Amino acid sequence: MIETVLLWLFAGTALAAAALMLVLRHPMRVALALSATMLSLAGVYALLGVHVIAIFQVLIYVGAVMVFMVYAIMLLDVRDYSFARRFSWLLLPGTLAAIAFVLILAHAFWQGVPDQPTAAGSVLFGIQEFSIEFLNEYWLHFELVSVLLVAAVVAALAVLEVGRRRRG
Amino acid sequence: MSQPLTAIVLLPLAGFLLNGLLGNRLGPRFVSTVGCGLPIAAFAVAVKCLLDLQAAGATPRIDLAYSWLVTGDNAFEIAFYFDRLAAVMVLIVTGVGSLIHLYSTGYMKGDKSYARYFAYLNLFLFFMLLLVLGRSLLVLFVGWEGVGLASYLLIGFWFEDPDKARAGKKAFITNRIGDAGFLLGMFVIYQALGTLDMDRVNAAFGSGVPAVSASLVGILLFIGATGKSAQIPLHVWLPDAMAGPTPVSALIHAATMVTAGVYLVARMSGIYVNAPEASALIAAIGAATAFFAATIAVVQTDIKKVLAYSTISQLGFMFVAAGVGAYSVAIFHLYTHAFFKACLFLGAGSVIHAMSGEQDIRKMGGLARKIPVTFATFTIATAAIAGIPPLAGFFSKDEILWFAFASSRGGSGLLYGTIATTALLTSFYMFRLVWLTFFGRSRLTPEVEHHVHESPLSMTSVLVVLAILSAIGGFLSIPHFLESLLPLPEIVPALERYETPLVVASIVLAFAGLGATAYMYGGGAERAERARLRFATLHRILSGKYYVDEAYDALIGRPLVWISERVFLAFGDRTLFDGTLHGLAALGRRTAAGLARVQNGNLHLYALLALFGIIVSIAWGWRHV
Amino acid sequence: MLIVVSVALFALGLLGVIARRNVLVMLMCMELMLNGVNLSLVTFAQQTASAAGAVLVFLVFVVATAEIAIAIPIVLLLVRRKAVLDLDAYTDLKG
Repeated sequence: MIETVLLWLFAGTALAAAALMLVLRHPMRVALALSATMLSLAGVYALLGVHVIAIFQVLIYVGAVMVFMVYAIMLLDVRDYSFARRFSWLLLPGTLAAIAFVLILAHAFWQGVPDQPTAAGSVLFGIQEFSIEFLNEYWLHFELVSVLLVAAVVAALAVLEVGRRRRG
Repeated sequence: MSQPLTAIVLLPLAGFLLNGLLGNRLGPRFVSTVGCGLPIAAFAVAVKCLLDLQAAGATPRIDLAYSWLVTGDNAFEIAFYFDRLAAVMVLIVTGVGSLIHLYSTGYMKGDKSYARYFAYLNLFLFFMLLLVLGRSLLVLFVGWEGVGLASYLLIGFWFEDPDKARAGKKAFITNRIGDAGFLLGMFVIYQALGTLDMDRVNAAFGSGVPAVSASLVGILLFIGATGKSAQIPLHVWLPDAMAGPTPVSALIHAATMVTAGVYLVARMSGIYVNAPEASALIAAIGAATAFFAATIAVVQTDIKKVLAYSTISQLGFMFVAAGVGAYSVAIFHLYTHAFFKACLFLGAGSVIHAMSGEQDIRKMGGLARKIPVTFATFTIATAAIAGIPPLAGFFSKDEILWFAFASSRGGSGLLYGTIATTALLTSFYMFRLVWLTFFGRSRLTPEVEHHVHESPLSMTSVLVVLAILSAIGGFLSIPHFLESLLPLPEIVPALERYETPLVVASIVLAFAGLGATAYMYGGGAERAERARLRFATLHRILSGKYYVDEAYDALIGRPLVWISERVFLAFGDRTLFDGTLHGLAALGRRTAAGLARVQNGNLHLYALLALFGIIVSIAWGWRHV
Repeated sequence: MLIVVSVALFALGLLGVIARRNVLVMLMCMELMLNGVNLSLVTFAQQTASAAGAVLVFLVFVVATAEIAIAIPIVLLLVRRKAVLDLDAYTDLKG
């Protein structure tokens, strides 16, 4: 019973924070709203019993990605023209399109997918079982993902290197 | 030889090929031998054919050379037909033609295109023989077009001069206009009768009611004849054709090619006998042309132009005869005209040769003693054309005058009056020409006078032969020879008693012309000068040839050019075609430019468009799932 | 119901990309989109009790990290050139 309430609470918070993201003016506030969304989502995951993902959500997304984002915001001067005028010229058509999109998808899903959560806290999603499953069945994806990360590191270095050479 | 007619036709063709391909390499002597020898050989074969024909009782001989196109039970064949009419024509063409070839060896001596000249001349003979020997109108038409081509090539022989080249073009184009009528006539005949063989066509029209109006066919064929024989309204090319070498003028524009129209009408007499409207038209145009050309000839100052207009006028006489049903008389005049007109042209060539190229008779005079042979032959030929008895022209012209007056098929007093006046004018202007050229005080420039000399034997011998023929040719009665083929028309009974008076009248007219010339031009020509000043306007109109060329240019030439430029070029081609193409290209370009505005570099727009795409694909995929 | 939430999160993220001018805010909206997708993946994984869903979520984490690690330096370099964070200034690729 309490789980349902909490689920609704967390889901609602996520939605509200996401909506806030769209209307706040200062990018730092937007970043904080996003962090709130992410944390609420972590809560949802935990309530669903997928603890592994919940933990990693907090660690990776909030802990690394959002920190980096905040760092970037602090580095740049955000009080420029986009501060004065938040929205682009496509606000209205975009809103209408987004509503249409939601309606269409909702309509599609309504007919197809039944909504029945299984028991929470399934053993499948404990960290031990998850890791075994991950590195046994899906080791190829794991390796590919590491390749992707290496590529990202190289790219980042390349970006910085260019900058460094110019300064030096 | 089994096919002598084919041989007659092919001999000049061989001459064309030999001289055309090898002439330049093998030299003038080869060219002369081949160029003159082959026509003479053709003449000999023609004489033999005539003797055979007479022996065989005048039944026509038909040689089939080649069956060209067989469609079901109809065939277009290249066949040659030899009867008495064809005999007359072939002998004139090859005989007078050979004489003119001989003359040319002297006249064109030293010309750098000697071989080309003889090649073209032989080519002309080939086509002319196709014309007169052809059995079917189609073969005749091939010859018809071919002589037009040869005429173009020979008129524009010295083509480096643009005026001469233009004269050649004018001749060919004017001929072609007439040929359109000829073709239409052929189409009508073929469609109605299923054959183009002239003997069959004549028979079909002769026996009962044919499937098509004889007058229609007659008029269409006559349109072709007006083009070829330089009658109104297509006469404009012949005076300009004098730009070619003089022997060419003699052969083509006096003796043979221009007479093809008369031959056509005579040959198709089966049609014209049954077509009174067409015959009346022929007679009317013939008379009008004869008169009209004679009036212009009175004031011409170029020796060849006088003869050119004289030719047009004499052709008009022939058509008058054909128009009133006296076809054999027309052929008779064709025959005598070939002799004296060729003699006159060649004589003119001789004069020009003596005068080192001068052709203006105002700058001649007193040549009688300096070039006696030319003078004698020229005068005999002039007397012949004027109609002084007993020379050839008198007989043929008198017959024409008689039938124009008294034929029951269209003879009338008006017709007679017109051509009698023309006969008077003919006598006048021809003797005027003789007077101004050979008599009186010499008006030559000194250096020309220094070089005046009689022509070589190759030229004078031909002149003598033709003068003799002009003198005695009339005693061979062609109408009698052709009686079985081309019967003479009935004479209106009431007018029979005028026969002798009219003969006397002809003689009077001939001498009256001579007298008038002596009066106007004798003793210094002051009377002629005063007449010219008194009738200055008339003189100007006549000198301007009634401004027919200018009228054609203004009424036809310039509007056509205007239409071509404004309608077809500016509007049709540039605006419509180019405009459509450019328009399509511009449409493509502007559409592209419009569509390119989507890619404005703005990520927001890209994202929105991606969202649209997603929505559409979901909606579409979902509906079709 | 969670699916609807995930769809709504995704739609909000997409709307943010279309409607907001600031480049950094647009990046954050893209992160929001990814989060929406993650939610749907987790929901399905939990409903069908398959580990594949969780693995995919993990991979999405990694991809998001890599992406942000590159995107932010790029933004920094761009801003160094034009000194403004407004996306309308960056239309050099037009035409």
